[in-house]
Amino acid sequence: MENEEDESIEETFTDNDETEEIAEFDGEENSREVVVPGEVLTEDTKNFLPGRGTILNKDRTKIISLNIGLKQINKNYINVIPLKGSYTPRAGDKVIALVIDKNPVKYRLDINAKDQGILKPKNTVKRNKMRGFRGGGSDHEAPSTEKYQIGDILIVKVLSADRLNQPELTTVGQYLGKRRDGIVISINPPKIPRVIGRDGSMIKMLKNLTKSNIFVTQNGRIWLKGENIAYERLLIDAIKKIEREAHTVGLTDRISVYINNEKKIRGIN
Amino acid sequence: MPLIIKDEYPEKLFREDGKRLDGRDKHELRPIKMEVGLLKNADGSAYLEWGNNKIFAAVYGPRDVHPHYLSKPDRGILRVFYRMATFSVFERKRPAPGRREKEISMVLGDCLEPLLFLELYPGNSFEVFINVMDADGGTRCACATVAALALADAGVPMRSLVTAVAVGKIDGELVTDLSGIEDKAGEADLPCAITWFNEELSLLQFDGSMDLKEFDESITLAKNALIKIHEMQLNTLKNKYIAIQEEYSGGKNKK
Repeated sequence: MENEEDESIEETFTDNDETEEIAEFDGEENSREVVVPGEVLTEDTKNFLPGRGTILNKDRTKIISLNIGLKQINKNYINVIPLKGSYTPRAGDKVIALVIDKNPVKYRLDINAKDQGILKPKNTVKRNKMRGFRGGGSDHEAPSTEKYQIGDILIVKVLSADRLNQPELTTVGQYLGKRRDGIVISINPPKIPRVIGRDGSMIKMLKNLTKSNIFVTQNGRIWLKGENIAYERLLIDAIKKIEREAHTVGLTDRISVYINNEKKIRGIN
Repeated sequence: MPLIIKDEYPEKLFREDGKRLDGRDKHELRPIKMEVGLLKNADGSAYLEWGNNKIFAAVYGPRDVHPHYLSKPDRGILRVFYRMATFSVFERKRPAPGRREKEISMVLGDCLEPLLFLELYPGNSFEVFINVMDADGGTRCACATVAALALADAGVPMRSLVTAVAVGKIDGELVTDLSGIEDKAGEADLPCAITWFNEELSLLQFDGSMDLKEFDESITLAKNALIKIHEMQLNTLKNKYIAIQEEYSGGKNKK
């Protein structure tokens, strides 16, 4: 039973969950102003409010930036979209995790955040299976930490996360579970929205041009599997290029040209 | 024959034409060069050349605290490690951290702490590793400057940057940015750092003798110099990204 559940994961993926933040990063093409911590964004505090990545000073006369990032004005909020930083888990995020420790009670997963994630065995098995439709809830069906081994790559969903406790994870859900093949690469987490693009335009283009499966997660890790190693290498180079140039204008077109050129140079079609 | 450099101080610290021994005016800074993001494995890094000082800084975090008993349940901690390379000074420096290095690590930690939102990272730590490759006076000021750059490069939310410079008194006159010889042979040395979000002093140490009037004057001198250095810090951080933007803007930004 459990194996069947795992196999169903190997499909093509469409990432609809991760498109929320894109509007913020992709933004209006006219505002690409780089700001640094402590820089005064505006002194007009009557018309503007401090948004994400900003703070009012003590006298409430200036709005200043907290991060190195791009300044953006959304209605009357001033935001700073960071260009670098760490991943903060939020409930509902799908992330790629590495099993680094396990004991009979729980797994510990590295999710590229400041805290390790906790995966309890009850969250690795579907609820109705736990009750046991065959044996009427017999004890030998009780979940244990036998399912995954240390070193496994899992795609998990964050159930709950706050800044005091370790985030709790689950592997029950669509696309979630263990990955047996493919490559995992990691990039800077704030640049993930750019890899997805507005309404997933960038990721669709990458998939079409390189004939690969890609699964992008919010913690900066990307799972990919192509037809052959040449495509996978090209895709990794393209993603590294996106990461480097994430704050520039007209990225999607440039990446599409880049991939087509590289295909000719490398002799793959 | 090994080269022996005698540790003798000149009698006069001003030349006959009124300039300092290295040819600077009284309130002229040494040449400064900054870079960010050169260490690949660190979360954020910076490099600073300030006169003959050559300093690397690397930032890691937020991450777990080791040893664990140092972690605090209500807030994060900031740890600064100031180390000098064995070849950074004339006489070989013993590599073990001594009294001076521990003091400067602590002072720098206190200097940088007001910048960070440590209450958002309970049980975690930020670690700043500063390595002085070449030392020639005023390293603690240079270290505070470069550590702020490295923290900003790591993407740590900060209220502002911090900038530091030393002012002092040599041969009875106030000067800005003391070099190694002036530091040792001069009369007074006053390193100070400013956090820019409230323009308050975050680091102030004093060594030597000076009257109150001169003290007030030297704080003003320091502030003038700090504004210049802060400008350089901001440009360094921005240029890393603006350079890539301009590479591909294709004239679109010029509209």
